[in-house]
Amino acid sequence: MTKSISRRQFFRIAGGTAAATGISPKLRRILSEPFVRPPEDVLPGRATWYASTCRQCPAGCGIIVRVINGRAKKIEGNPLHPLNRGKLCARGQAGLQVLYNPDRLRNAVRQTGGRGSRQFEPLYWDAALDLLAEKIRALSNPGRLAVLAGLMPDHLYRLLSLLLESLGAAPPVIFDLHSALEGRAAAARSSEVFFGAAELPVYDVGRSDVVFSFGANFLETWMSPVAQSVAYGNMRQGAFGGRGLLVQFEPRLSATAASADQWIPLRPGTEGFVALALGRIIVEERLGHVGSHRPHAALYQDVDVTEMAAASRVPIESLRRLARLFADAEHPVAIPGGSLAGQQNGAASMLAVHALNHVVAQVGRVGGVFLSSPGPTAMLRQTARVDSFAQVQDLIERMKAGEVDLLLAVGGNPVFELPATAGFAAAIERVPYVVSFGSFVDETAVRADLILPEHTYLESWGYQVPEPGADRPAVSGQQPVVRSLYDTQASADVLLGLASRLGGRPSEALPWPDEISFLEETVRDLHGSSLGAYDADTPAGFFALWRQYGGWWSERELPREPVVAEAVIQPLPIVAPQFVGDERTYPFHLHPYPSVALSDGRGANLPWLQETPDPMTTARWSTWVELNPEVARSLGIGDDDIVRVISPHGELEAPVVVYPGIHPDVVAIPVGQGHTDYGRFARRRGSNPLDLVAPVAAADGGALAWGATRVRLEVTGRRQTLARLESLDGAGRESLG
Amino acid sequence: MAQDANHLAESGPRWGLIVDLDRCTGCQACVVACHAENNVPVAGEKQAAYGRWLHWIIIQRFWEGEYPNVKARFMPLMCQQCGEAPCEPVCPVYATYHNPEGLNAQIYNRCIGTRFCGNACPYKVRTFNWFRPEFSEPLTEQLNPDVTVRSRGIMEKCTFCIQRIRRAQLDARAQGREPADGEIQPACVQTCPPGALIFGDLNDPDSRASQLARSHRAFRLLEELGTDPAAIYLKGGETNV
Repeated sequence: MTKSISRRQFFRIAGGTAAATGISPKLRRILSEPFVRPPEDVLPGRATWYASTCRQCPAGCGIIVRVINGRAKKIEGNPLHPLNRGKLCARGQAGLQVLYNPDRLRNAVRQTGGRGSRQFEPLYWDAALDLLAEKIRALSNPGRLAVLAGLMPDHLYRLLSLLLESLGAAPPVIFDLHSALEGRAAAARSSEVFFGAAELPVYDVGRSDVVFSFGANFLETWMSPVAQSVAYGNMRQGAFGGRGLLVQFEPRLSATAASADQWIPLRPGTEGFVALALGRIIVEERLGHVGSHRPHAALYQDVDVTEMAAASRVPIESLRRLARLFADAEHPVAIPGGSLAGQQNGAASMLAVHALNHVVAQVGRVGGVFLSSPGPTAMLRQTARVDSFAQVQDLIERMKAGEVDLLLAVGGNPVFELPATAGFAAAIERVPYVVSFGSFVDETAVRADLILPEHTYLESWGYQVPEPGADRPAVSGQQPVVRSLYDTQASADVLLGLASRLGGRPSEALPWPDEISFLEETVRDLHGSSLGAYDADTPAGFFALWRQYGGWWSERELPREPVVAEAVIQPLPIVAPQFVGDERTYPFHLHPYPSVALSDGRGANLPWLQETPDPMTTARWSTWVELNPEVARSLGIGDDDIVRVISPHGELEAPVVVYPGIHPDVVAIPVGQGHTDYGRFARRRGSNPLDLVAPVAAADGGALAWGATRVRLEVTGRRQTLARLESLDGAGRESLG
Repeated sequence: MAQDANHLAESGPRWGLIVDLDRCTGCQACVVACHAENNVPVAGEKQAAYGRWLHWIIIQRFWEGEYPNVKARFMPLMCQQCGEAPCEPVCPVYATYHNPEGLNAQIYNRCIGTRFCGNACPYKVRTFNWFRPEFSEPLTEQLNPDVTVRSRGIMEKCTFCIQRIRRAQLDARAQGREPADGEIQPACVQTCPPGALIFGDLNDPDSRASQLARSHRAFRLLEELGTDPAAIYLKGGETNV
């Protein structure tokens, strides 16, 4: 099978495993043995399936992995898991290429030739941990340690928080582009305002008959796309009543809007105006069948439908028709999505959309909006919260001012994912010592002094309480499906090893000898719950079932109805969007959007995902600029002509795709390409639209307002043939080429 | 369904794939799942820019109307496993072959790369290996041992994941039963999040695929050519707002 391990070596490794069995309990429990001595019930050449959790995005879908002779061969959705119910998206399917990626780091390394030199010297793990412990001990005060992280599984976040707390250091600053594009922080905050709980709501699309989606690309990358797609299928052709209807409000016709019955093009930042106008019409004309609208009147007392229609340029007749459609439905639901959160008025827009669910009394009703019930998982739930962009900027300022002596980058890739002019790349130069935990040499790791590569998710332990959750309490469990390929280490084990080296308070706060003992202890909390889909007599039996099921969940559906907060019954705020760049110099709005395949760029190193056509343009392996046909005509350009897109903060060049489904004021560019590192499949391919984005936050201390930048276009006169599936000459598709 | 000498015993299965266009969201999960299951290589950017691809399933996207009243529609396209397949009679070496379960099988070791079958196929779903497939080490570890890696000069296409059909049949036989409806799932069907793809035996009138095939929404692609496809599409819903 393999060329990298000869038959003789293979036996040697197996022998080593057997020898280790008697020595260290840590080794005995963590190593998965290759099948040289297969268990009696396992035949060589016959597949074994292991249940685990997908980590390609923060959704936390359950997976099962087909393993033959110790090698992972196929990832499928876990049919028992209540979130994704056996289904998986393109990114989840491509997980094998994370594990078997040729560009993975194979051991801990120190960058010896200076940052960016890419001269890596291998280190033994003991030496690497000693080095890091030494750096922490040498800090003059714990405030000079900073951690910048992407969203991570709950167990790792919990250990990291414990360690930082015991050191007296600040909690990690959480930022990743995927979360920014889906508006995770803004969604949690608006939920806190509206329902008094800073949790992500669950929209019951599957049992809804009219869905109004305001910029939520819920069939692509937003929140929990697989669970939402399963629900969408049921909404269309499910057993519940007739065929449901989907209306999508957004500046660019996304793949989700392509599945909608109607797409209402809007100018960026006006989604909230439309929601306010719809609500006002419903209340004013007493539409729907919820009885009195009197309690809602206060919400809309400042709203003028004519003004809202003028601001959003949606005709009043259309608004009236849509309001009637929404209010007359049995089970309507309105979803505030990520493209709202990318604007400076995002918080107000999201509240306006939530209010729509409230005026038709769909909060906590079938087909409406719910919160996920934690049940006994509450004690495991320690989900990382995405921080405001102001906090990220504050960290960058501290780094620039020389107030940070040691920076740990755990997950995420801030150099690539933050707007170039946010100054992170320059700030990191001012930090004396930088440690990266990535499995790959990405743009951030290449600026690190020490890289402690973690296992890929198919080699790791862990757990995650999915958020937004399923219709019942659930925890997704993660376990290694293959023995780790290289000399990498779980970041959790690195933190535990660090704590024991530091001694004192850290070792008291993190007393576990290894990750798995921490996990066993945590999982024990669920043992004996009457809700569970399974239970066992002993904790060990329970842990075995936990691994077989790939987590724990309630047997029965357990809805949790949100309570609309008192504070909400007051006039909804009307906030106009603001943009960076003068309207006359920069006539277009920049609309970066997440790629279905590459998401925020983390999938760009997987050839399967690079080869996957974008659903709307069918383009692959590249970056492009989408223009309205009228705009392209007025500039005298067409498909494949290269344009220069210039914002007040930067510029990039890319070929044009003439795109029939985009507002004429908007220029859309997919996120994901433009890597300067991150392996052979990602490097030097396309451009990163974050180079154009102004580093501004939403007004109320929100996340990065990635949609608030204006741009202008320059024609270059050059052309580049974009690699796309669709033929442009109208001569039909060529498969024999 | 045409019944002639090509179609063997009524008792045997005829595999069919239902594609519900009302559910399809164009998410590409099927495309990647197929790559993983069937060891389909990638063409790479340079070849892709020439318009080449090796996907066994693609999702076509059609624009309708003009801004602002514009709609886009998705249509997954894979080998239609025709009952009267135009690709079969043109092969000089019998590499394209009609198997007893109604599948157009491609016998890789017979194929000499004339590409006649690809030219004859009205659906353009056959792909040709112009180059030796490349899997940078250790990406070879991901290869499915149940499926041959095709070499240069070989024509290939969707097989309805025949290895998964056989696996389910063998497992069922070992337990002394027939595979249940829905037990056999090609990789695309297995992963499809909105449940747009349904696989089953069209000769079993009670299978879910057969029931859906009788839907008033059912149609088949280029049916007028008399190809008798085993892929049956259910047209997308139309609700005017």
